[in-house]
Amino acid sequence: MHELNWGLPVILYLFLGGMGAGAGAVSASIFLRSGGGDLAGSNFRFARWGAMLAPPLVILGTAMIVLELGSFQAGNWFRFINLFLTINLSPMSIGSWVLALFILVSLAYAYTFISKAARPGDELHNMRKMLAWAMVPLGVGVALYTGILLGAMPARPFWNSPILAMLFLVSALSTGVAAILLVRSLFGHKQKVNEQAFEQHSYLLSSSDMLLIGMEILVIFLFVMYAHLTIGSVEEAVAVIMGGELTTLFWFGFVVLGLLLPAAIELKYVMPTLLYQKAYAMPRTMEILICALVIVGGFMLRYIVVIAGQVTGPVGI
Amino acid sequence: MSESKTQVSRRDFLKKLASGSAVAATAVAAPGVAISVEKPKRYGMLIDTRRCVGCEACSVACKTENDVPLGETRSWVEFIEKGNFPNVSRSFLPRLCNQCEKPQCVSVCPTGATYKRPEDGIVVVDSDICIGCKYCLQACPYGMRFINTKTGTADKCDFCLHRVANGLVPSCVNTCQGKARIFGDLNDPESEISRLLATNTTTVLRPEMGTEPMVYYIDADHTDERDAARQGLYVRIETHRRQQKRV
Amino acid sequence: MLNRRNFLKLGAASAATGLAGTAVMTRAADMHAWGNQDFSPKTGRERKAVPSACYQCVTRCPNVTYVEDGRVVKIEGQINSIRSEGVMCAKGQGGVNQPNDPDRILYPLKRVGARGEGKWKQVSWDEALSELAARIQTLKDRGEPEKFMFHYGRMKSSTSKMVKTFLGSVGTATIGDHTSICEGGKWTAQELTWGGHYDTWDFDHTRFVLNFGSNVFEAGTNHVPTSHRLIRAMAERNVRMVTFDVRLSNTAAKSSEWVPVKPGTDLAVVLAMCNVVMSEDLYKGDGEAFLSFCKATGDNHAGTEEKVAALKAHFGQYTPEWAEKISGVEADTIRRVAREFALARPACAISYRGAVAHYNGNDTERALQTLAAITGNIDNPGGRCKAVGPKWHSPKGPKDLPKARKLAILDGPKGAAALPTHHMSHNVLKMIKEGSAGRPEIYMTYKYTPIYANGETQENIEILKDESLIPYFVVCSPFYDENAALADLILPEPTYTERWDWEDMVSPVQIPEFYIRQPAAKPLGETRDFGDVVCELAERLGTPLGYQTKEEFVRLSCEMTPEVAAVGGFEYMKQYGVYHDPKAEPLYFSYRKELKPEAYEKDSVVYDAETGVYWDWKKAHAESREAALEKGYTHTKKSYTGYVGQRIGDKVYSGFKPDKLNKSGYLEIYSGLVEEKGFPPLPTWTAIPEHEKMGPDDLIMTTFKVATQIHSRSVNCKYLTELYHKNPAWINPVEAAKRGIKDGDEIKVKSPIGEIITEAKVTPAINLGVIAISHHCGHWEYGRYASGNKAPGGRDDDPDLERIWWRDDNGMHPNWIIANSPDPINGQQRWMDTVVQVSKT
Ligand SMILES: Nc1nc2c(c(=O)[nH]1)N[C@H]1C(S)=C(S)[C@@H](COP(=O)(O)OP(=O)(O)OC[C@H]3O[C@@H](n4cnc5c(=O)[nH]c(N)nc54)[C@H](O)[C@@H]3O)O[C@H]1N2
Ligand SMILES: Nc1nc2c(c(=O)[nH]1)N[C@H]1C(S)=C(S)[C@@H](COP(=O)(O)OP(=O)(O)OC[C@H]3O[C@@H](n4cnc5c(=O)[nH]c(N)nc54)[C@H](O)[C@@H]3O)O[C@H]1N2
Ligand code: SF4
Ligand code: SF4
Ligand code: SF4
Ligand code: SF4
Ligand code: SF4
Ligand SMILES: [Mo]
Repeated sequence: MHELNWGLPVILYLFLGGMGAGAGAVSASIFLRSGGGDLAGSNFRFARWGAMLAPPLVILGTAMIVLELGSFQAGNWFRFINLFLTINLSPMSIGSWVLALFILVSLAYAYTFISKAARPGDELHNMRKMLAWAMVPLGVGVALYTGILLGAMPARPFWNSPILAMLFLVSALSTGVAAILLVRSLFGHKQKVNEQAFEQHSYLLSSSDMLLIGMEILVIFLFVMYAHLTIGSVEEAVAVIMGGELTTLFWFGFVVLGLLLPAAIELKYVMPTLLYQKAYAMPRTMEILICALVIVGGFMLRYIVVIAGQVTGPVGI
Repeated sequence: MSESKTQVSRRDFLKKLASGSAVAATAVAAPGVAISVEKPKRYGMLIDTRRCVGCEACSVACKTENDVPLGETRSWVEFIEKGNFPNVSRSFLPRLCNQCEKPQCVSVCPTGATYKRPEDGIVVVDSDICIGCKYCLQACPYGMRFINTKTGTADKCDFCLHRVANGLVPSCVNTCQGKARIFGDLNDPESEISRLLATNTTTVLRPEMGTEPMVYYIDADHTDERDAARQGLYVRIETHRRQQKRV
Repeated sequence: MLNRRNFLKLGAASAATGLAGTAVMTRAADMHAWGNQDFSPKTGRERKAVPSACYQCVTRCPNVTYVEDGRVVKIEGQINSIRSEGVMCAKGQGGVNQPNDPDRILYPLKRVGARGEGKWKQVSWDEALSELAARIQTLKDRGEPEKFMFHYGRMKSSTSKMVKTFLGSVGTATIGDHTSICEGGKWTAQELTWGGHYDTWDFDHTRFVLNFGSNVFEAGTNHVPTSHRLIRAMAERNVRMVTFDVRLSNTAAKSSEWVPVKPGTDLAVVLAMCNVVMSEDLYKGDGEAFLSFCKATGDNHAGTEEKVAALKAHFGQYTPEWAEKISGVEADTIRRVAREFALARPACAISYRGAVAHYNGNDTERALQTLAAITGNIDNPGGRCKAVGPKWHSPKGPKDLPKARKLAILDGPKGAAALPTHHMSHNVLKMIKEGSAGRPEIYMTYKYTPIYANGETQENIEILKDESLIPYFVVCSPFYDENAALADLILPEPTYTERWDWEDMVSPVQIPEFYIRQPAAKPLGETRDFGDVVCELAERLGTPLGYQTKEEFVRLSCEMTPEVAAVGGFEYMKQYGVYHDPKAEPLYFSYRKELKPEAYEKDSVVYDAETGVYWDWKKAHAESREAALEKGYTHTKKSYTGYVGQRIGDKVYSGFKPDKLNKSGYLEIYSGLVEEKGFPPLPTWTAIPEHEKMGPDDLIMTTFKVATQIHSRSVNCKYLTELYHKNPAWINPVEAAKRGIKDGDEIKVKSPIGEIITEAKVTPAINLGVIAISHHCGHWEYGRYASGNKAPGGRDDDPDLERIWWRDDNGMHPNWIIANSPDPINGQQRWMDTVVQVSKT
């Protein structure tokens, strides 16, 4: 066995960080696309859920990685500050700054949503809007960074691919959407403004989530195909999900449970609306199930990728 | 020998500068002495595996010299046993940090704790700065790095900087039974290592990684399990690296 | 934002301060000094360097020991040593763990529970030595000092001198060594052929090395001095080496050629090589010339032609084809290698325990001496040479002591071995159990662990546990080994890094090297050098030795030894650690020295016409000149101690001086001494009885050593045991497949005396018909790094104790199932002959 230098904390970090960033970015873009939230309240609420979700998720994820630091484990609790005493071209350095910025901005952004009502004229509005403009690139940045972090090293052929960053980005957005949908259907039903708008937005989110999953499948396909078509280290490394020790987990745990199943269910409910303009109605339990699947799938992806990258390495000597 | 080198002409110096290799040329003005220029060194090691008897004295010397905790290794020797009876061979591949010219560990380090010393090319970890993020552990294509449990920071072979800086060969070189390890300045054409590199066919490990190792081998056995499988040979690689298999 | 470049500079600066400024080049020179200086990686401070000597293995290389804050922190080779030339093996490097072992015994311990129960009481030295001295005194008073048996292992040089002086003062000659479990049989064979033992191998000048059962790159009693020269010869001068071994040792792996041989059949191969040399007239030249210094027939005065004829006749029967059937080595290979060896000139024939630890080991070594002799490769540059070591002079101790008495338990049962010149240590406990020759009342071991190092582990334990067989058992050791665990009294010795000694191991360059061991640090706890202890014991027993401490003994010796005294004596040695005469010439062809008539025309010297030997009957303590002449050289007890020279033709030569046996001054290929004992006088094929009766599925179990462990005594060295802590049994894939065994499987190995369960290592690097298990592992004591068991008084302050990752993976000792059984000629323990059945568990 190769050493697993990065374990659960890093996996959780990548997962939670990605999800939080995704939620933040989605929240902001919904907010901006809906004209700054002056559309009926449920868009605002969407955005609000996302804004509320983003900072705790990202902060929690960041806390996780601090736990994994050797210096922290050795009792130098605040050594990680060193990350912010410099900046260099290390993805982790840039990432840390982006992450720190994201946390600050997302906290401020969340703060602007403290009030439950969307008042276009309210004092926070301009600030909210400005912050939302920053949230989109920062969220995408953080999500991308989690992939670049891993992808930067030729020594880790499983990770060493630009597609990985894309994969992590799409997954981050999709889990972000799922996270919003999940909390919304768990806690948001009571606050429905009107039934139709609520379903309408569920539909929008579900269909965009479906789209994201579709993209994710595409990216996965590219990832596997390119890896498989090459020779040497990369091919050898990708073998771990193509017949190696992580194959079942990858294909069943991630691709089937985390992508195909939710996509199929969403398809079932979205298609009638899309094709025949039928009223969109997904049972709440189904919605919760899909979201849970997408989120678990997102975790699986980080888990498998982080492990696979470390149990494989360059071939030859 | 060294005297002549401190008196480098300005033109030479500029030439070097122009060619980009005088990275950290330092000019030292001393009273009554013309400006002398210390040419930066590029320390490297050449391991002549023909002379290696697999005694592992280097591994133990390294542990004692650097007080490396159990379960962690800065240096080890791989035994590569292959063939089918009675045509069996066993060769030895001593391993240590390659002090790469393009060190991946350096490019990923977010804090700058790991850096390549401009004056001699040794890649070192500043354990006062390192946060132990383990990024460099992932980035080294040779599995050289580990987190030292005593310090919680990244650790690896540093060519015994504390000895080398005091004019001594590294500990593993000092003990080597076969005198298989030759240490010296690659920038000095007169050094033993330069002369041997010039007159022998050498290889480095995993050159395709682009790290440009400064540790060279004569007659290294580059066999791995895949080669052996392809040739229908038995092969067993005992690495002695941190109780695990070769990475 | 911080500028990356500035930051790096900052980083560099702080790294430099972390290293206390040493990170700045302090020397402009590119040539880095090799050693004898060291710095702390943490503080950058220079460490105190103490020239001393290694004692991890019997080679005893000079070293430099580094000290920081009074603690031994690092050991390196001594660059001024002509033997090691500054390099050092893994075991020597690992020696730094010895003084720092948290399981060291630091105070004298007295047993309080039942023997072996592990209950101890810390006692003062005064109490410990009063008790021991009183018991010895009682024996002396009873007129039975021989019931104090002292059994030692690697007790060498000054310590040996002091301890033996002490034992002499007590009056006991019941002194056992461990040599028969080591290489004693090889020594006997050498004593039979060229006299005193020890062959050194002149790799600096050889052109070809022929190796039978020596693992010179991993082990060997002159390990570093020989191995580093050999690899240099191979790398720089293309010297070829052919290794006969039952498995691919690292030595075989580095050889130009590995020839797998069936265990115990090296003799057949060597005899066939002698056949090739004689039948193809390859002896002509140096070999033929050398024959005039050999005895090859019953007649000591035979001419060279007669000798050639006799050898041709004798070896005629041993054709390579014949040897192929016995050894599994192809006749063509034997022929080719024999020719290569004979023609290389000079070529070096080497051998070790793989060749000699057998039923027929005595003749294997004799045959090899023969092969070297008939090719002219004896005591010549590049050949197999007679050892050269420094001659220390030392204080003699009390005079006019009564003759020491001895229990006849050292040489095994009567008739078990014909000429056990190095005793039969592996049978001592059996003899005690059997009891007919008497039993010691005090049994003391020093640097020897019969329980672990001998065969028949279970029986050893039972005997040593039995107070009716051994009433009082004293162990002197720094460590709580399996032996100490059964003792009544443990006398803790400091580790070698904290002791004094003068040292005298032989030199591979035929120039003697004087060196000392000196304490690098103060002995921990209340540990006391056994040299000091015997001084005090002697004092208490009323026969003071004339010096009080080992340090004093070493100092006096330095002053008494002319070579050392001339350069500054003790002070010089303390400062430099080693000395050799820079003008000395290597000593070759010592046998060729012609004696001046005054040497053999002395009154006390008589000429023995039968052998051609001049000998000094007074020196040999013969009754009278007449008795000496009448009984003759060969049959006067210990006449060899008076040997002066050998007449060959009309000249008298120093010849091959005998030791331990009354042989002539010839290199005796033909041995009248073994003939008298009923064995063939010329090296002759003898099959191993058990191997003749093997079933089709039986295997022969052999054992071996690895480069990173020394017997039992290095398992407490954490860095060594981390590298080697389990010893799976090597087995060939073909043999494994027959038994359904896969790599890593648990297997059962069963011999006539018991069975063990161990792990299989399925590898083509071992011959068919063999299973090989190293003997360093499977400890049940010796502290936590070795066995997981804490020693009494063990400390917990070593954080590495928490990091032992091989817990419960300590391997299995093979000696549980190896019988203590001797070579019938010399008594050597037969480590490599055990017939076993192997199956999957
Ligand atoms: N590393 C290390 N070095 C040591 C020691 C140690 O314990 N460890 N101990 C020291 C001591 S006291 C001694 S006596 C020496 C011993 O030094 P060596 O005798 O050289 O070492 P061994 O491993 O005992 O045996 C040598 C070889 O004999 C092989 N062998 C077994 N049976 C046969 C056979 O029938 N024929 C042939 N041709 N080969 C056979 C074994 O596979 C092994 O490789 O080493 C000394 N040096
Ligand atoms: N199966 C098998 N058995 C073998 C061999 C083999 O090849 N195969 N090899 C044999 C050979 S060659 C030999 S020489 C013997 C060696 O066997 P031993 O002579 O018993 O040698 P060691 O096991 O090295 O050490 C004996 C004890 O000395 C003690 N000791 C260590 N250091 C010191 C010290 O500084 N002072 C004192 N007073 N005591 C100390 C330790 O308690 C240790 O247990 O083993 C033999 N046993
Ligand atoms: S071998 Fe690894 S640790 Fe050493 S310099 Fe190269 S990349 Fe860095
Ligand atoms: S573990 Fe330390 S040296 Fe390695 S990348 Fe992180 S901060 Fe840099
Ligand atoms: S140079 Fe020093 S740190 Fe590096 S392997 Fe050798 S002994 Fe270890
Ligand atoms: S010390 Fe030298 S000879 Fe021994 S294993 Fe290391 S490189 Fe090889
Ligand atoms: S050969 Fe023996 S004496 Fe020499 S350094 Fe190695 S262990 Fe010590
Ligand atoms: Mo031995």
